[in-house]
Amino acid sequence: MRRAAGRRRPALAALAICPLLGIISGCGSTGLTPGPLQASLSRAFANLYVLQQTEQGNPRPSAPDLHSRASCQKGTPGTAQNGSGSWLCEVTYFVAGPAYPVIAKYNVDLQTDGCYAADGDGPTSVNGSPTITGPRYQQVTNPLWLIDGCFDVTG
Amino acid sequence: MTLAADGWPTFVEPVAAGRKGSGVLVVWRLELAKLSGQLQVRAIAAGCLAIPFLVVGGLNLQSSTPGDTPFGQWVHTSGFAIPMVILGFGGQWVLPVLTAVVAGDIFSAEDHFGTWKTILTRSRSRGELFGGKFLAAATFAVAAMIALTASDLVAGLLAGTQPVVGLTGQLVPAGHATGLVIASWASQLPPVLGFTALAVLLSVVSRSSVVGIGGPVLIALVLQVVTLVNLPVTAQLALLSTPFTAWHGFWAQPAFYGPFREGLVTCAGWFAACGVWSWLVFRRRTIGAA
Repeated sequence: MRRAAGRRRPALAALAICPLLGIISGCGSTGLTPGPLQASLSRAFANLYVLQQTEQGNPRPSAPDLHSRASCQKGTPGTAQNGSGSWLCEVTYFVAGPAYPVIAKYNVDLQTDGCYAADGDGPTSVNGSPTITGPRYQQVTNPLWLIDGCFDVTG
Repeated sequence: MTLAADGWPTFVEPVAAGRKGSGVLVVWRLELAKLSGQLQVRAIAAGCLAIPFLVVGGLNLQSSTPGDTPFGQWVHTSGFAIPMVILGFGGQWVLPVLTAVVAGDIFSAEDHFGTWKTILTRSRSRGELFGGKFLAAATFAVAAMIALTASDLVAGLLAGTQPVVGLTGQLVPAGHATGLVIASWASQLPPVLGFTALAVLLSVVSRSSVVGIGGPVLIALVLQVVTLVNLPVTAQLALLSTPFTAWHGFWAQPAFYGPFREGLVTCAGWFAACGVWSWLVFRRRTIGAA
């Protein structure tokens, strides 16, 4: 009798856990919203743009002066704007004064832990190729081609 | 014929102060001596020391970079990226395997060899045996993590000490990067100890090393799949696998420690629950009954 009860216990536990998971997943935020993603991506882009210019032997710009900002969207505008998966982001930055914005596009694969891989999607000269040419014609990794970043999902 | 109650000879155990603690230490030392003789333990120790260098060698042989993991694209640029790629790739399932091989076997091996009766007739209580064995499993986990951290760091430093790009695109200079590598690997210790307690629990409850070692590994893999689902933050943070990724925040600018702090609570909870549960099972177990 005891044995039978012991064997039934895992099944009961599983039955109890399933609705519990359902309730948990129904409420509460995933923390994966456009706000922190945009903040993290625009900051990372500015830092890496400075690195890219330095590696190409160009004058070193200042990251805050780029006034970069990102705008991210998941799927169509009707889609719920949160959660992991594929996001489309546009980073707008200014290298030639406030009247001349430049837009760099990224396909962002966002994971549930708040880490993302942003894959450059043009313009080609900025983030379209995996390598760039340095001042002595050497090939180095293009920092803007793939941006790995993470933000705080608990904050 | 009757005997007065005080007529019976009394067999009172001479309990000296601090005896219990020293008993645990005696069992702990014995268990460590047994572990150091085991083939799988020696193999893991050798692997911990050698694998980072093999990874560095392997990466040097090819020009492509490992994708799909933070720092993957920088392995040829900076040596500091290499320990982080190893952590990003393997942390969530290699580290549970590492600790489960010992913790999942340390109790059930006595069942397997039928040696409980022998060791329980020695002058050590069940509590001392349990404490000593548990402590030995935890000691092995800590030692393996220290070895792995050290060899990873050395392998990375040998590969190159150029500044590495952090997780907000910022350049992290060598000195700070060294500290972050150590901190990131140290942050794996709480979840590893959580998995140690889980492996002990499965080992005690199932009395089988297959379950004790395979169970935590399977649970780690299942949890890794579960983390792919969009769970609310609170549910995500309660999983024992989430603290393995808390180090990401160390490399951001500004750095964030929220996931690490929450992870400490999660790991402490799992550790205590598994530890207490396995003690309750072990304490009441009938050993030697036909």
